[in-house]
Amino acid sequence: MNPISRKLATLAVGVATAMSAASAAADEVPYSRVADMLYQVMSADREAYTRMVVQRLTVDEEVITASEHFEDDVALPLPAQMFRFGAELVADESEDFSYALLSLDPINKKNGPGTDLEREGLEFVVDNPGENFYGEEELGGERYFAAVYPDYAVSEACAICHNEHKDSPRTDIEVGDVMGGVVIRMLMD
Amino acid sequence: MSRRASLWVGWIFATLVAVGVVLTWMTVGGDRKVLLAGEMTDAHHQIELACESCHAAPVFASAAAAKKALNKACRNCHEDELKDGDDSHPRKSFRNPRMAAYWEKLDARFCTSCHEEHRPEITLTGAVTVAADFCVACHSEGEQDVRKNRPSHAGLTFETCASAGCHNYHDNTALYADFLVDHADQPWLVPDPVHVLSARQRSQEPASEATLERADAMAPPDALNEQATLDHWAGSGHAAAGVNCAACHAPEVEAGAPLSDIEAAWVSAPPRTVCRDCHKVEARTFALGRHGMRQHPEVSGPRDATGSAVGDVLPEAIMAWLSDAPHPAHMTVREARVPMRGAAADQSLDCGTCHQPHAVDTKRAAVEACTSCHDDLHSRAYVGSPHHALWLAEVSGDAAAGTGVSCATCHMFKAKRRGRIVTSHNQNDGLRPNEKMIRPVCLDCHGLGFAIDALADDDLVAGNFRGRPTNHVESIEWAVRHAASADRDEDR
Repeated sequence: MNPISRKLATLAVGVATAMSAASAAADEVPYSRVADMLYQVMSADREAYTRMVVQRLTVDEEVITASEHFEDDVALPLPAQMFRFGAELVADESEDFSYALLSLDPINKKNGPGTDLEREGLEFVVDNPGENFYGEEELGGERYFAAVYPDYAVSEACAICHNEHKDSPRTDIEVGDVMGGVVIRMLMD
Repeated sequence: MSRRASLWVGWIFATLVAVGVVLTWMTVGGDRKVLLAGEMTDAHHQIELACESCHAAPVFASAAAAKKALNKACRNCHEDELKDGDDSHPRKSFRNPRMAAYWEKLDARFCTSCHEEHRPEITLTGAVTVAADFCVACHSEGEQDVRKNRPSHAGLTFETCASAGCHNYHDNTALYADFLVDHADQPWLVPDPVHVLSARQRSQEPASEATLERADAMAPPDALNEQATLDHWAGSGHAAAGVNCAACHAPEVEAGAPLSDIEAAWVSAPPRTVCRDCHKVEARTFALGRHGMRQHPEVSGPRDATGSAVGDVLPEAIMAWLSDAPHPAHMTVREARVPMRGAAADQSLDCGTCHQPHAVDTKRAAVEACTSCHDDLHSRAYVGSPHHALWLAEVSGDAAAGTGVSCATCHMFKAKRRGRIVTSHNQNDGLRPNEKMIRPVCLDCHGLGFAIDALADDDLVAGNFRGRPTNHVESIEWAVRHAASADRDEDR
């Protein structure tokens, strides 16, 4: 099995494991563990798209660009957009769990903290490098478990794009900085 | 029995009968017009008796289930349009529970939060039933406060967001900031104004080896005696493309079959379905617009009471009386809610209304077919307008293909689908709001700034663009200023 196939197989197993774990969360697996597994899948998916599609085709092969307006520019969607598209598809299909990529300094204001817990979690992952945040909150009359994972500027491209975007509130992001966080929510019993 | 008791019995009996009749109308069949909760919008009035098209949940379903079914029905017909317009507020964006705080302000998970039917007293343009300043619900506080994020917006009021030519709730494909910046400083008219896809489509020649002559027509003798019809067909696109009589009049017969087979299967007035067999995109989009909505596959048909739960219990005559009358298959000009010509009142809308079945003259369909029915200011002003002059020049051969502007150029525009140029037959594609027309139509000939200004000028639209816009929408200047780095710092 070549490395790409192995990675895709790992991802498939990860998705299946996480999904089945999500349904069993209340009875057997702690919510935090389920969230961790979901995050692993999301994170691996995102990294795979960034490296194997965006990085390879835009930087290594230089055959296409990546753009926020990918349809008009006939370009690749940005990794953060792909992440959001996945999140929206899940939201369209399921009420059991949801996820979002948020930031205290978002380029698009709708990706800023929307609840007290989101703000607390995002501040925590910025102030405590390498640590995750877990909590519970009530939204729309339902109780949710929420986990926040730090989202780092993993490459120069991340920092440059965010620093130069006309709507970015920050211009001083460096590689390794926490730019925001992935927020995962699960409906509790 | 005392008089009082008799009255009570009579009242109870009458009530039970009334309830029974209403329940029967709701669940079995019968004329339900009396049950309409209020006049329907211009968008849906022609399908007002096809209640199940929207009220898809069972009669006694919970309110939540009924609401879900209602909103799913909206998506059945409108989802493709929203995708094409890169919906700025897609439902899926609001389903994440982190948006719960917004659900209480304006629940964007449901179409019906902004578009209620049967509420004529509060219905605004675009079938909107919330106050015109609805943006205030979500964009006036905290991180989403647009007046803080955009200093240029500081003094604006929220009722102007969607009414001044700047923003739409759904389709902003021609209005988003980066697009405005990319199209700033364009002249009002580009150097070689040609509608590219129209030009390409009109200059396409059918394969000459397939072309049929008048003598090639294969039809029963009676039909071949209709000389004018034969002449029309021989000069049509159908003959040029090798489509013989049987393709429409005997569609079940295989190509190359003998005349006897054709005669046996001959249909004098073929139904529209034969058009759809070849013109799939045109038929599909026709059913999405107001001309052909009644033929949309998601519009429910009349109920057959004999197939209901009480079908075996009640006498056949009662069941026949209870069954819904057949729904009219086509929209008629008389039923339209926009100004129409009285002489055309009895005209019904089908393929043959605009495309004479044998002549299939798309030039007639592009202008005369429209103006023979529509009688509003914009339609009346078309004849003699600059766009009309360009059209006449193209039709007469004095100007190149694609330089003319017919009614269809703007209202039934061309699009590229899987490498093919097709004509959308949904006349509403570029309307409500009219900025939807900018990218597929206006920008081929005009600069973005001019197009935005022109479409936002109601008088200019009514006069069919005779003259220049008198208003100016400043959105491009604001977007350019925001994008410029010096102003960006100032904005902060």
